[in-house]
Amino acid sequence: MYLKKLHLRSFRNYVDRQVEFTAKKTILVGNNAQGKSNLLEAVELLATLKSHRTSRDRELVLDTATASQIEAIVERTHSTNELSIIFRKQGRRTVAVNRENLRRQLDFLGVLNAVQFSSLDLDLVRGAPETRRNWLDGLLIQLEPVYSNILQQYNQVLRQRNALLKKIRAVRQDDPNGSIDSFEPQLRLWDEQLAAAGSRVTRRRARVVARLDPIARRWHQKISGETELLEVKYLPNVEWTEDEPSKVQRAFLTRIEERRIAEQYQGKTVVGTHRDELEFAINETPARHYGSQGQQRTLVLALKLAELKLIEEVIGEPPLLLLDDVLAELDPNRQKQLLEVIGDRFQTIITTTHINSFNQNWIKDSQILKVQAGTIITAFL
Amino acid sequence: MHLIKRPDKEVQALAQALVAAKQKVGFCKICFHLSAEPVCSICNNQNRDRSTVCVVGDSRDVIALEKTREYRGLYHVLGGVISPMDGIGPEQLNIEALVRRVTKESVEEIILAISPSVEGETTTLYINGLLRPFTKVTRIAFGLPMGGDLEYADEVTLARALEGRRELD
Repeated sequence: MYLKKLHLRSFRNYVDRQVEFTAKKTILVGNNAQGKSNLLEAVELLATLKSHRTSRDRELVLDTATASQIEAIVERTHSTNELSIIFRKQGRRTVAVNRENLRRQLDFLGVLNAVQFSSLDLDLVRGAPETRRNWLDGLLIQLEPVYSNILQQYNQVLRQRNALLKKIRAVRQDDPNGSIDSFEPQLRLWDEQLAAAGSRVTRRRARVVARLDPIARRWHQKISGETELLEVKYLPNVEWTEDEPSKVQRAFLTRIEERRIAEQYQGKTVVGTHRDELEFAINETPARHYGSQGQQRTLVLALKLAELKLIEEVIGEPPLLLLDDVLAELDPNRQKQLLEVIGDRFQTIITTTHINSFNQNWIKDSQILKVQAGTIITAFL
Repeated sequence: MHLIKRPDKEVQALAQALVAAKQKVGFCKICFHLSAEPVCSICNNQNRDRSTVCVVGDSRDVIALEKTREYRGLYHVLGGVISPMDGIGPEQLNIEALVRRVTKESVEEIILAISPSVEGETTTLYINGLLRPFTKVTRIAFGLPMGGDLEYADEVTLARALEGRRELD
């Protein structure tokens, strides 16, 4: 797929800017805080309707405006689509494909696919489990848009169940001998809902990890020089063996039963997919406890390349690749390997403050744009 | 602006109607639908099938179902759905009255027509558990909109529609 045109209106620090992408590789050069990452963020929003920088729409709107708009033209093998998102300081977003407003945001996802590499990616290895879950969920949404509904439903059940458990705990605290029998039937139903929604989440997560693992392993071997063996392991909070909805649900209910007292004591749900973990093991040692910064970078690069390949495999077209300020962090060897992978197939948008550190092969054939205080101009080196 | 341009009399009438609505409209003591009388016109209508009760979350749902003119039974309005986050448990809803209705009157079928949200689903399951020992409990089917195209339906809706499939008659 090819992002041909991008039009930003009152978006972040852009008043009204159009960019036409004329080459497979586009390098955005400029000092910090000029708007390079804002442009990548716009592409990320088109692909996922989410930004990794903020969850508040008002932050996406220029100070002096009340709403902002991203418009884009995306060419795919069999179609060309016009995308539009309007963000408001107050109120809901409007998303449209080919000038038709969509009632469900779900229908917007999947027209444009993108994978982003950023300096925050190292958190995938070093950060909390939540970072890894979010990454996995983001990938799943691109592969199977309906997953965003499934996840939303799970989170809603979780919030409701937590509210009930909190209430039960409050009743207990008021009167330690008091009866909580009256809550029992309702709690059972929330248990069942958690099991039903949780089994949908965990089965899809297991499925995507099973596909991701071999691809990541191959990349990792290639980049690290065949000396290290990577394994991507899904460690669900509720373990199950047979991929059968009713059996997975049963596993949830059994686990909930085992943790019943702990849950009522803590006043929250301690069993479920919100406590899943994704583990990266190198030579059978979890990468968190192991590895230099260089090794961790190799790992992240392998994971991201696997993400890229998996999306390509499932979608049938190469997704966009967004490199936010990361190329300079890679040593010449990894830069070269990344370049080989991208080749001519993936449209790539790169941001950097210093173009000098780039391998000449990157610069050759690239469209170079200079970003300065919300303006974008073609640069000639 | 629109109101200021209208004749005094019309505005007076509107104001009175609003006050009257606020003062007079309460809940039917049988089904809890909005009503100006102690018992609403649906519960009072002797032509309706008294052996079937359709359970809904809100009075607006009654109005929507009435518009179809397909349903000839009675209603029961819960006044919401179970939602611990909003402090709404079964006790806050008109569920006890529903159980009394089912055990005291000769209700042959309860149709649950509660929106298929997470909260609606829990409420549906809760009421099913309570009433199952006394009477037949059914729920409305969820699925594809009429005139909709199968290929454009999302997976959740399609799965639901498959679940609720039935034999052709």
